[in-house]
Amino acid sequence: MPGFASGSADDTSRGAALVPVSTEPHPPAVYPLHLGLKPPISRLSISWSRGNTLRVSAFRQTTSVTKNSGEEIGGKVVEVRLSSSGDGEVSDAQWRRIEYGSVVPFALLQSRRNSVLSLSKMAIDSTPYNVEWLEYVMEYSKDINSLLGSSKLPPDSVIADPNKFLKIGEEPTCLKAAWELMEMFYAEKMFQAWLPERLVDWLADYDSLLSSTQLTVHSKLVNFQKELFSLQVIEDNPRYWEVLSSALAVGWLEIVVKMLRLHGSYQLDQLGKRETENGLVEAVAVLISKMPRLRAKIDGGKLGEVFKAKPDFIKAWEKWRGQITKLECSSFWIQCSHPQTREGLKNMLQIMLGNINSLRTATCNWIELYISHFLYIRPFTVGLESMYSLAQKCMLSKPMFVPHRLIGLLLGILGENTEVVLAECSDGFGPWMVTHAIELLTTASDQAEILLHEERYNLGGISVEELHRLVYAQVLSSHALTWQIAPIYLISCMKQGMGLLEILLYKQPLQHNQLLLKNLEICRLYELDNVGSNIMKIAGVNHWKHGRKGSGVFWLQQAEDEVCLNRIAQQLFDSVGKSISDESFKQWEGLIELLGSESKTSGGLEFLHKYRDFKKSLKQVHDGKITDTARQAVESLMMLMRNPSTPQRFWLPLLFDSLKLLSWWERPLLNVSQTNLLLNKLQELSLARLRPDFIKSDLPPDALNAVRLALATNLGRAILEEQ
Amino acid sequence: MDMEKSLATLDEGTTCSSWNYCGQRLATGCIDGTLSIFDSRDPASSSFHCSSKFQVYESGIAKVVWVPPEFGDAIACICEDGSLLLWEEVVQDGQVLQWKLCKSFKSSAIKVLDVQFGVSSASLRMVAAYSDGHVRIFELLDPLELNNWQLQAEFQNVIDSVSTSGKASCLSASISWNPQRGESQESSFVLGFNSDIQNLNSSKVWEFDQTHQRWLPVAELASPGNKGDRVSGVAWAPNIGRPYEKIAVATHKGIEIWHVGLNPDSDGRLSVEKVASLSSHEGEVWQMEWDISGMTLATTGGDGMVRIWQSNLNGDWHEQAAFEPTF
Repeated sequence: MPGFASGSADDTSRGAALVPVSTEPHPPAVYPLHLGLKPPISRLSISWSRGNTLRVSAFRQTTSVTKNSGEEIGGKVVEVRLSSSGDGEVSDAQWRRIEYGSVVPFALLQSRRNSVLSLSKMAIDSTPYNVEWLEYVMEYSKDINSLLGSSKLPPDSVIADPNKFLKIGEEPTCLKAAWELMEMFYAEKMFQAWLPERLVDWLADYDSLLSSTQLTVHSKLVNFQKELFSLQVIEDNPRYWEVLSSALAVGWLEIVVKMLRLHGSYQLDQLGKRETENGLVEAVAVLISKMPRLRAKIDGGKLGEVFKAKPDFIKAWEKWRGQITKLECSSFWIQCSHPQTREGLKNMLQIMLGNINSLRTATCNWIELYISHFLYIRPFTVGLESMYSLAQKCMLSKPMFVPHRLIGLLLGILGENTEVVLAECSDGFGPWMVTHAIELLTTASDQAEILLHEERYNLGGISVEELHRLVYAQVLSSHALTWQIAPIYLISCMKQGMGLLEILLYKQPLQHNQLLLKNLEICRLYELDNVGSNIMKIAGVNHWKHGRKGSGVFWLQQAEDEVCLNRIAQQLFDSVGKSISDESFKQWEGLIELLGSESKTSGGLEFLHKYRDFKKSLKQVHDGKITDTARQAVESLMMLMRNPSTPQRFWLPLLFDSLKLLSWWERPLLNVSQTNLLLNKLQELSLARLRPDFIKSDLPPDALNAVRLALATNLGRAILEEQ
Repeated sequence: MDMEKSLATLDEGTTCSSWNYCGQRLATGCIDGTLSIFDSRDPASSSFHCSSKFQVYESGIAKVVWVPPEFGDAIACICEDGSLLLWEEVVQDGQVLQWKLCKSFKSSAIKVLDVQFGVSSASLRMVAAYSDGHVRIFELLDPLELNNWQLQAEFQNVIDSVSTSGKASCLSASISWNPQRGESQESSFVLGFNSDIQNLNSSKVWEFDQTHQRWLPVAELASPGNKGDRVSGVAWAPNIGRPYEKIAVATHKGIEIWHVGLNPDSDGRLSVEKVASLSSHEGEVWQMEWDISGMTLATTGGDGMVRIWQSNLNGDWHEQAAFEPTF
C-alpha cells in the first residue's frame, strides 16, 4: 500500500493518504501525466518498475496521413514515481543521507527489542518494556533526530548587531519539527513534568514553519526587524510594543529583553531625563529574565531560572508572581511620562500575570495561545487529557483556518489517537517517517501497541507496523542507490518481509557482474539459497546464450543446474560428433575442462573427459612420438569403447580416428581380446545402422570398411604374436 | 517537482510494449511487423535507446511477452493474424549476437489471443488461449533450446466439459500465471475469455494435478449472475505471505478483486470471495498490473487514464490516485 506524499496535483492536497482513517470514500487525487506526445493517444500500457515506480507507454493513433512521413513520434515511455519523500523541503540527496543514516539506529533498536523480548519470555509476567527499553528508544530517537539537520541556531557573532534581535540560521524543516514532537511525547515519557516547557522550546524553534500558512509571532518579528532601520524613536511606535508582548506571550524571553534594551531611555544622552522610565523598563527586563522555568536545563543564551523539581518551582513561581504584582502596583508608573512605554510595559506585566485577554491579543493563532497558557496560566499542566482539552479550548478561541501538517500531527498526539498520528505522519511526511515513528508510537500506550502490532486479516495477516515497513522497503527499492538497504527493513518483518525480499532480488538486473555479486551476497546473508541459485541460473543462461560460454558454464555450475549442464554436455557431444578430427578441439577442450569432473552429471561429462584424454594422446602419436605414447592412446581408446556412457554414434568416428593405432607399423598395439571387443562393437554398429533412429556421422563412406580391415589385420598379427 | 521522467521515444506505428523482468529492456511491436528492443547503457541510467530493430512478421504485432529470464532473452509475439512467434537473442556458431526466430506457431483459421509463460520446478510452460475457446499448454523440452516445445494439454475454459456446446468465436482472452515460483508450488493460472459462449467467459483458476498429470479447474471467479460476462483482463497478484491469493478480474462492469483460498476443499475446489467491485475506465479495462507486494493495483482503460487502487486497513478497496495524460 505504498503511500503518495506530496505530489504536483496541487499544494493543498498532499496526495492521497497511505492508510485513510475515514472509511468514507473520497475522490482520488488526479495528477497530470506529462507525456510530450501529441494526441490522439490510442492506447496506454503500464508496467511496474523498481519498487513502486510505474512505467507508462503511450501509443499515438496512426493516421494514414502521417503514415508515410516516417518522422512522427509514435509514442512515449515515461516513468512515474508514486512515492516522493516529502514536499521538496528536503532535497533528494539529503533524503538519501537520512535513509542511509537511519539504518543503523533502526537495526540496533530491532536487535535490542529482540533481546529484551527473549529475556522477558524467560521471566514470566515481567513487562517487556521497562525503563531500560525507554532509554533505548530515547537513544534511537536522538540518533534519528540528529540526521534531520540542526534546529539550533548558529552561535552569535562576537560583536552582535544591537539592532538584530532575531537570528536567522539554518531553515528548520517540518520533518525535524514533527520528529521532535513525537520524541517529546513518546520517547521522553519519563519527563512528563517538563513537557510544557519542551513545547515552548519547540514552538520557538519551529514557529517560522507555521508562517507558511498563517500569521505567527515569528512572521511579526521578521516584519518588524525589517522596519527597524527606518524607525527613529522606537518606543513611540505601537508596533514595537505589540511585537514585544507577542514575543513575551510565547516565551521568547531573550528576544524580548534584547528588544527592551533598544528602548530610547537607555541611550546615554537620555538617561538623566528619563530615569524612572528607564528604571521601569529595566525592572520588567529583569523580571522577565528571572522567570522560573520547570525544566531540566536551559541552553546558553536563554533566560529564566531553572527548577527541576515541582515544589521548588512552585515556591519560586509564587515569589516571582508576587514581584510582578508589586511592580504593577508601584507608584513609579505615575512618574513615567512616556505613555506608550507605560502602557506597553503594563501590558507585558498583564501577560506575565496570565491575563487571558492580553494573551489572546498578543498571540496570532491557537497554538501560540496554547503555549502562552503553559507559560503564564497553567504552568503545572500535566497529563495528555488535560493538555488536549486545553488545546480544544484554545482552538475555539483562536482558530486556524488553513490546516498545517504539524498542527494535525500535534492534535493527533494530544488526542491520543494513534490512527490519526499514523495518517498525519504518512500524509504529511511519507513512508520513511511512518516506519521510523512507529518505534516511538508503540511506547505511547498499550492500546497503541496493540493497534500497531495486531495481525489483521484484511492486511493479509500482518500488523500495521509490518505493513508500513513493507511499504517503506518498496520505496527504498525504487531507487538504484537505496535498494540495498531495503533488506534491513524487510528482515524486520516477521511475516511477509522475506517474500518481498525474494521478489525484490529476483527483479534486480544481472547483466553487470558487480550487481550480480551484490545480489548473491544478499542471498547468502539471508540464507535465500533458492533465490541465489535462480539468479545464478539466469546469469548462466544469459552468458551461454550470448556467446560467453565459459561464464555460462561457470554460473550454471554455481547454480548446480544439472539439467542445463547436461544439455550443454549434450551440445558438446554434438559438436564433437561433427568434427572429431577438427582443429576446433582446443575450443571445446576448455569448456570440458571448465565443466570439471566433480560434477554429479557423470554420464556425458565422463565421456567428454576421456575423449579429451584420448585426443591428446592421439595427437602426440601423430606428432611421431614413440610407442609408449601409442600404447597410452590405445588404453584411452579401449576405455572409451568399454565405457557404457560413450554414445554409440561416436564409436565409428573414434575407431576411424584411431586407424593409425589399429595398423601400427612396428607391431600390433591391441591384443586379441581387445581386438575382438572392438570387432564386436563394429558388428553392433552395423546392426544399429538398420534402425531408423541411427545417426549417421560425417565420415567417408568407406570408413567402416577401412576400420574393419585394420581390425582384421591387427587381429591376425596379434594372434601370431600371442602364440 | 516532476513526478515523471521520460524514458524512451517510440517509432511511429508502435502498438504494444513490454518490459523484461528487471525493467532494463523494453520490447515494442509495430503495426508493420517490426520488433524494436530498447536498452539503457547502465542500470542506473533512465534513458533507453533502440539497440535492435528487425522484421518479425509480415503482419502487425498485437502483443509482446518476454520469456522468463531463466530461459534467455526471448520474446513471444502475437501477430494480428493470430500467429505466435518466438524470437530469441542469441549467438550461434561463431556469429555475432542477434535476434533469431526460434519457433513459429503459424495461424490457420484459429488465432492465438494471448500467451503467458510460467516457471515451475525448473521447467517452462507456455499457455496459449485460442479464438476457438481452447487453451493449449506447451512444455519446453530442452531448457537451452526455445524451439523444442511439446503440447502437454489442451482443453476449453469450462468447469464441466459436457456443457460446452456450439462453435465459439472469441475476441480476446486473458491469462495470468500464479507468480509464485516455489519448488513445492503447483503450477496454476487464471484464464478468462471475451467470447459469444457464456461458459467460456468467466475466469477460472486452473491447477496442474501432479499425480494424474492433468489440469483441473479449481475455482471460478464470477458471481452467479455474472458468469457469462465477457472478461477483458485478469491479473494474479504476487503473494508475499498472505493466507489467500488475490486476483483481479476485469469485465465491462468494472474491476473485481477476488480472494482465493490456498487449500482445496474435499472436492478439490478453492474457496473464493469477491472483496471489491470497482467501476471505472468507462467499462473498458485495457490492462491491470499488480505491484511487487501485491498491495497496489494499477489499471488502464478506455477513458485514457492510469488508475491506482489500494485497500485500507478495513479491507475496503478504493481508487487512490489517477493519472491523466497531457501533452
